[in-house]
Amino acid sequence: MRRLRVGVLIVLVLLMLLVPQLGGDYYVHVFALVFTNVILAASLRPSLTCGQLNIGHSAFMSIGAYASALLAKNLAVPFEVSMLCGALVAAVVGLVIGYPSLRLRGVYFAMVTVAFVEVIRLIAQLWVPLTRGMSGLSGIPKPNLLGVTLATKASQYYLALFLMLLTLLILWKLESSRLGLIWKSIGMADNLAQSLGVNIANHKLLAFMLGCFFAGVAGAFYAHFIRFLFPPEFGFLMATNILVYNYVGGRGHFAGPIVGAAFLSLLSEPFRGSAYETIFFSIAMLLTILFLPGGLITLPGKLAELRWWKSASAHSPSPAA
Amino acid sequence: MTPDLLIQSTIIGLSIGSIYILMALGLTLMFGMMHIINFAHGAIYMLGAFAIYYIFSQWGVPYFAAFVLAMLLLGTFGYLVERSIYRPIKGGIEPTLVALLALTTFLQAAGYPVFGQLDKHVPPVFQGTRNVLGVMISVERLMIIPMAGALVVGLYLFINKTKMGAAMRAIEQDKEAAALQGVNVHVVNGLAFAIGFALAAASGALMAPIFKLDPMMGEQPLLKAFIIIILGGLGSIPGAILGGLMLGLIDSIVATALGAEPAFLLSFVFIILLLLFKPTGLFGYAPP
Repeated sequence: MRRLRVGVLIVLVLLMLLVPQLGGDYYVHVFALVFTNVILAASLRPSLTCGQLNIGHSAFMSIGAYASALLAKNLAVPFEVSMLCGALVAAVVGLVIGYPSLRLRGVYFAMVTVAFVEVIRLIAQLWVPLTRGMSGLSGIPKPNLLGVTLATKASQYYLALFLMLLTLLILWKLESSRLGLIWKSIGMADNLAQSLGVNIANHKLLAFMLGCFFAGVAGAFYAHFIRFLFPPEFGFLMATNILVYNYVGGRGHFAGPIVGAAFLSLLSEPFRGSAYETIFFSIAMLLTILFLPGGLITLPGKLAELRWWKSASAHSPSPAA
Repeated sequence: MTPDLLIQSTIIGLSIGSIYILMALGLTLMFGMMHIINFAHGAIYMLGAFAIYYIFSQWGVPYFAAFVLAMLLLGTFGYLVERSIYRPIKGGIEPTLVALLALTTFLQAAGYPVFGQLDKHVPPVFQGTRNVLGVMISVERLMIIPMAGALVVGLYLFINKTKMGAAMRAIEQDKEAAALQGVNVHVVNGLAFAIGFALAAASGALMAPIFKLDPMMGEQPLLKAFIIIILGGLGSIPGAILGGLMLGLIDSIVATALGAEPAFLLSFVFIILLLLFKPTGLFGYAPP
């Protein structure tokens, strides 16, 4: 079973490597954005595992995007450095917001993060000399690596793929370590975890900051890939979409947010940007929560169970016989 | 800032504050009983305003009848939401919050194709202005204060003087014990949903003649209500009233002096500082 999974993963990665050869610039563009969404969705997971509902993840993406774009544009900082700075700024802002609100239970934190999305949007909108406000920030340089500018869409695609795989590897290693176990214990019963000597406030904060850091990475890539930033883009809707990826994909397994982000971003591609995209997302979310609480990743198991149950009831003798 | 301007912005602050109070009361009532935050509150505010647009200004029903009708309609919708979303999830707080979030984005996004892309306007209900303490205030804004006040008093009497209100308070204290005494928890929770939704609809209906109507109009009042209930303490009704008045005044006075956006940023910084030093809000309700 394990060998099968590794095989499937290798085939998937090979297929992703071949996308620029097989498809045109359109597919390259779409898939690079899907990878960004996967980073965003997966980076929300540590916080959700701790039972903290972060409904403001897009704010941290926005911080990373603006910080990296401004550094590269105004100070000609290379992409590697500006991306790292953007991610670090996002993590530090996460510390400032998370420290006061994470000591309380879930709902306070959820409300603070919702309001924070609006705060960041307003700052980006009002700080016109720096961010150009509602005219949008344009002229962001293309990403470069080791001094070489990644001019083609295909090379930027490989950068996105690399960033996604690296992020997933780091998050996966952390989740399967002792730290991941602690997060899970906090999510299941935080008072019990506390009684066993876990410093729950610090661990919640760490999980949250980690998520902010990788949201910053996604934002930085997005900024240099799209090369235009507009404050309302990182609003409440994007924040809920990131949450939807996690719930529709499934909360029980590391693959959940990845499946959710890939599935929903590809499926909603035909009506990207219209009101119907949001309608589609919200209906998908409601249906999943009501009828498939474990998310898409539990679907194969459920189907198998159904088949087993059917065949079992067909073979078992009826009580009347 | 001249004294006249200060008096004017104080009175306007009181009228905005009454709207915030109506929003925050529903939120805090539902939180106290079910420990959930109704993210759909802003969308219901929006629906309340659109209900007034259709019932009052399109179909010509008198304003007060339209107002009551909007509250009844959305109150019923609240009961149905309890029935079809809250109850099937069986009290899981996090899934409920996410489902309510999904309901919000659905109602907002569906608003564009249903209500049209253009902003809607409701004609003024109360004409003219009145001289209050030497400044002129539009009657439209003044009337909000007694109408919201009547709803707040009505809610207070309902919770404290009726049998249903006693059942609500019992659930707030201990759900299992209340059920053991014969309180039908489902019905009473449904009632709390209905009351919360009706109050949100009332706030939207009161604001409809003053602001332009669009499907995203509920976002700002919702965020304001969040700040108020964090300020006043989750689940505390006096906290919601005091917090609402404070935020209404801050909003109006700071907004007149500096602009609306800095006022919002300031109130956010204020609640972060408050959470740092007094995490349970002004009225010290320990979070469950």
